[in-house]
Amino acid sequence: MTTIPRSYVRALTRIRCSIFQTTFNPSSQRTGAKYLRAPLRGPAMVQYYPKPEAFSVTKLNKIYPGWNLVDIDEVVRLNDVESKKKRGKGAPKKAKTPAESRRARKKR
Amino acid sequence: MPKLAKNIRVLRDIKARQGVQDNEIVRRAYLYVARNQSLPPQVRYQAQLQLNTFGRYTRPTTVKNRCTESGRGRGIMSEFGLCRFQFRLKALKGELVGVRKASW
Repeated sequence: MTTIPRSYVRALTRIRCSIFQTTFNPSSQRTGAKYLRAPLRGPAMVQYYPKPEAFSVTKLNKIYPGWNLVDIDEVVRLNDVESKKKRGKGAPKKAKTPAESRRARKKR
Repeated sequence: MPKLAKNIRVLRDIKARQGVQDNEIVRRAYLYVARNQSLPPQVRYQAQLQLNTFGRYTRPTTVKNRCTESGRGRGIMSEFGLCRFQFRLKALKGELVGVRKASW
């Protein structure tokens, strides 16, 4: 079996690169080309969530102040909140000072 | 059709996605310079410093796929973009094409 000198292999690679228009990089140096070559990911990322509705009751009311449309879901929600408050199940009061915050209590 | 649950985590994720898109090209350019071994080290270092000045919501790694119905962050089936429960609900309603309940 004959061994081919390294310099020959190298020369062959160089010629092959020039023929097939690839980069001749014998030392495998990192050129950062992959960051330029990779497709952009942003456009697909932005489209992940469904778009917000173009027309909602609140939006229409803002555009046309005189209409005063009723958002049924919102009315139901407010009624729920009211009934919960009556039963003493409402949201806790906001802390006025950092000392009375729930987080401060937790750390102890 | 139920609306997307817009809790703070979903809003933050939307913000991150927008930020990634807006800064992607500039970040790629800096990445190219910073990772290019044929450039002088000082230039590469400067590029790396510039990369560090970008905000938190400009990196693609901060983006997380959340459920597009409920906003849940775990148990997402990426093929549908739904969490396991919403997937089940929609599949049983027949809203997912080609998905059937297994029975044998």
